[in-house]
Amino acid sequence: MTLPSVADSVEPVGATVGSGPPGESTRRRAGADVFRSLTRNRKALVGLGLLLGFAVLALIPGQIAPDDPRAKVYPRGLGPSLHHLFGTTAYGEDVFSQLVWGTRQSLLIAVLVGGLATLIAVLVGVSAGYLGGTSDGILSLITDVILVIPIFPLIIVIAAYERNSGFLTLVIVLGVLGWSYGARQLRSQTLSLRRRDFLEAARVRGERKSYIIVNEILPTMTSLIVASFLGAAVYAVLFAAGLQFIGLGDPNSQSWGTMLYWAQNNEALGAGMPYWAIMPGVCVALLGAAFALVNYAFDEISNPALRLRRLEHKGAQELPSAPPAQVAADTENLLQVRGLTVAYASDAGPVVAVDNVDLDLKRGEFLGIVGESGCGKSTLLYAIARLLGAPLAGEITSGQVLFKGRDMVSLTDKQLRHIRWREYSVVMQSAMNALNPVLTVEAQMRDALEAHSDMTKREMRERSKEALRLVSIDPVHLLSYPHQLSGGMRQRAMIAMALLFTPDLIIMDEPTSALDVVAQRSLMMQIKELQERLGFAVIFVTHDMSLVSHFSDRLLVMYAAQVAEYGKTRQLFDHPLHPYTQGLLEAFPSIRGEKVRLTGIPGQPPDLLRPPSGCRFAARCPLANERCTAAPPLYEVDGELVRCVLYEREREAVAAT
Amino acid sequence: MRFVLRRLGFFVVTLWAAITLNFLIPRLMPGNAAIAMMARYKGRLNPQALHALEIAFGVHAHQSLFHAYITYLGNIARGHFGTSLTFFPDTVAHQVLQALPWTLALVGTTTILAFLLGTFIGLVSAWRRGTALDGALPPLFVITSAFPYFWLALLAIWLFSIKLGWFPESGGYEVTTTVGWNWTFVSDAFNHSVLPAATILVTAIGGWILTMRNNMITVLTEDYVRMARAKGLKPWRIMWTYAGRNAILPNLVGFAMSLGFVVGGAILVEFVFNYPGVGWMFLQSVENQDYALMQALFLLITVAVLLAILAADVATAFLDPRTREPG
Repeated sequence: MTLPSVADSVEPVGATVGSGPPGESTRRRAGADVFRSLTRNRKALVGLGLLLGFAVLALIPGQIAPDDPRAKVYPRGLGPSLHHLFGTTAYGEDVFSQLVWGTRQSLLIAVLVGGLATLIAVLVGVSAGYLGGTSDGILSLITDVILVIPIFPLIIVIAAYERNSGFLTLVIVLGVLGWSYGARQLRSQTLSLRRRDFLEAARVRGERKSYIIVNEILPTMTSLIVASFLGAAVYAVLFAAGLQFIGLGDPNSQSWGTMLYWAQNNEALGAGMPYWAIMPGVCVALLGAAFALVNYAFDEISNPALRLRRLEHKGAQELPSAPPAQVAADTENLLQVRGLTVAYASDAGPVVAVDNVDLDLKRGEFLGIVGESGCGKSTLLYAIARLLGAPLAGEITSGQVLFKGRDMVSLTDKQLRHIRWREYSVVMQSAMNALNPVLTVEAQMRDALEAHSDMTKREMRERSKEALRLVSIDPVHLLSYPHQLSGGMRQRAMIAMALLFTPDLIIMDEPTSALDVVAQRSLMMQIKELQERLGFAVIFVTHDMSLVSHFSDRLLVMYAAQVAEYGKTRQLFDHPLHPYTQGLLEAFPSIRGEKVRLTGIPGQPPDLLRPPSGCRFAARCPLANERCTAAPPLYEVDGELVRCVLYEREREAVAAT
Repeated sequence: MRFVLRRLGFFVVTLWAAITLNFLIPRLMPGNAAIAMMARYKGRLNPQALHALEIAFGVHAHQSLFHAYITYLGNIARGHFGTSLTFFPDTVAHQVLQALPWTLALVGTTTILAFLLGTFIGLVSAWRRGTALDGALPPLFVITSAFPYFWLALLAIWLFSIKLGWFPESGGYEVTTTVGWNWTFVSDAFNHSVLPAATILVTAIGGWILTMRNNMITVLTEDYVRMARAKGLKPWRIMWTYAGRNAILPNLVGFAMSLGFVVGGAILVEFVFNYPGVGWMFLQSVENQDYALMQALFLLITVAVLLAILAADVATAFLDPRTREPG
């Protein structure tokens, strides 16, 4: 009995706040990070500043407004003056003093209701999410029911029987009815955390449920808990003021809502005492807005996608080194990439994810790009396709991408649109994510066909059917939605989509990694077969070197944003030059070869925010020596390019990079 | 199908919970408000009015709690909400039906309008991310969505009625006009609805702008949006069919969830404007301790919210093929 939740789609907080490897340290650091980010966020600062101001008013009202707020000693209905900043009431009280003294109650209600509601929300939400099963069913049902029952009318009903209810009743009623929204969010967050490694680890260690919930789950949900508190606080301030305004609170209490009640009863606005009615509302609005601003800032911090980062351009951009016209004469190469550099903006500064990469691709050639995750291979791919932008908010900072003689980097979005899909198409890692979940396969194919041709509806349908047959999918699936297809079928449907116009180049980003080994193999065969039949060129990115070994003509090995080695696939497999390539090959078992120990490569790639000044692989390299402290250029060895000083003496550097 | 049944089950449970709360609250109050009320009115009211109260509370002199509950449920099921004390001897049902069209026209229309407009602004704002417009809107609406409805209503009356005299300050129509489908009445009623409608619109719209903007920003990072760019589709096509259509789905859920909040605010707006709708009548019944009327109106409001959520469900099913799946 659950609605799809807004929070379901949001990444868990602990995993996204820190940028380091996920796990213990990230979770511990999350709290401190959130706090630091808060102090940098302008909305948070305004909100916190307002809250601080109100807190001062609530704590020491006597120092700020020495007048007794209830003393009916002044002339009635005065306008604003130096002595009475906001005038006096119809009873001869000072409006300013009443405002100052009323702060305490509103703030107290906000804090107490926020606390009570959050406590219940955490108890219910986390238990429901963690326990699952029947408990979850019952708790979620209660949560959803309370969520949709109109709370304010219900509070009015309660207040109608319990007239002029005291402060405590108000807090309890608001708290008991105001937890459901927070509970829902906490539940779905807990659900998404349940299967995380660190929780599994705690369970295996034999920790008690209560220990796991308090020590493992709650710390990762700091942001959500705070958001739940702030949300409930806003609601408490507004609802309490509303209740008092309609006369269902204690008419003698010192609060903004009660001021509004008396102001309204005396028609203050029409009777020349506007500040009496306006200022309490301003205070309620400011307090509500302060909580809401902090809440919004928290949202931005816990969901990094909401923050907008930009690269700072220092000085002029580097200009492309080679004049385009000269290279355009080269007809053999379909694609030439020269000095391509891509940077991401991060809070700590720009991260260069692709560093000065050159590559060539002939017509009909199959190029594999391999490397560990985070080495920049996908970024390189999307930079070539001019598809950078959220979530990869990278930017090409220099270099050229010459595709059929045109420099893609300098084309405008509009110019690119006409080349896209007709001349080069893209196949992504997971079709589940890359296909639009709310459109049928046919509608998504028709979109592409419509954008680049003037085919009739019937022709488009025929072409779509044809494309599906190419990848051996029954054309009845044109009417299917992505979620109705199996994983392998979805992936092939995406390839069919990429073939709609039989482009010159298909860019593939790990298109098989979501599949099992058998399906992977058959899909690779199919891609290769189609490539040979239709003659398109392929750039294929993967972290699995053995996968492309039988299919690619050439391989480009990337390490830490740079080309480590680049050459013919066969040659590279038989005689890997770079110690990194050698390490990669040792990480995969050979089916036919003799039994060898799989050593893999110890350590982790360097932080691209601060790459080492020398060879980037040196820290992990078994052959590293003192010469590796200088950054090695690419050397040409037997027609291959390799970035390692081992080859310095034998060959001359081809490019000083 | 299972989804539909589950949702229907949920609505029944919620309705049952609302009815039960209606029954229990007066009894759970310290000193049992129900019995106290009955004692207070005994001898002062004629038997019919007393009977009205009995129905409202589901009490007969010597019934057990359980028995009373059954009787109460039976009365509700047959639409017997009793007699209104305020409008005695008119029935509650008749009174409610008189107020309903006003609220439907005012709150219904503005809520839908606020949702559509807010969703649209949020969508465009996220699409034009980083522009001056997008930079200014979110903080502005964070603040307006924290405004108390009734206070904004007060300000609107002060500025546009008292100071400027552009719109009438209260009521749903001039008492001098005859109620009916004639131009004078309709234009007059419209004139009266401008200020309350604007108040609800301004306060309700912020929440939907913000949630839609956030959904949209999240959706814009999805692979299928990048895929749409890769396909070379026109920007407006990507914005509507790929990003917007997916981003609106959670916003529909948000619509359902924040409706109770909007309705609460709308009640206060009607109260401030003396607008002759359900909310105003609800607060009048509270004021006059007309519990039969109050309980019926609370149920009505709950049912209205549930119907709106049902509409959001239907829209979700229409827009999202995944929810249409069997099982």
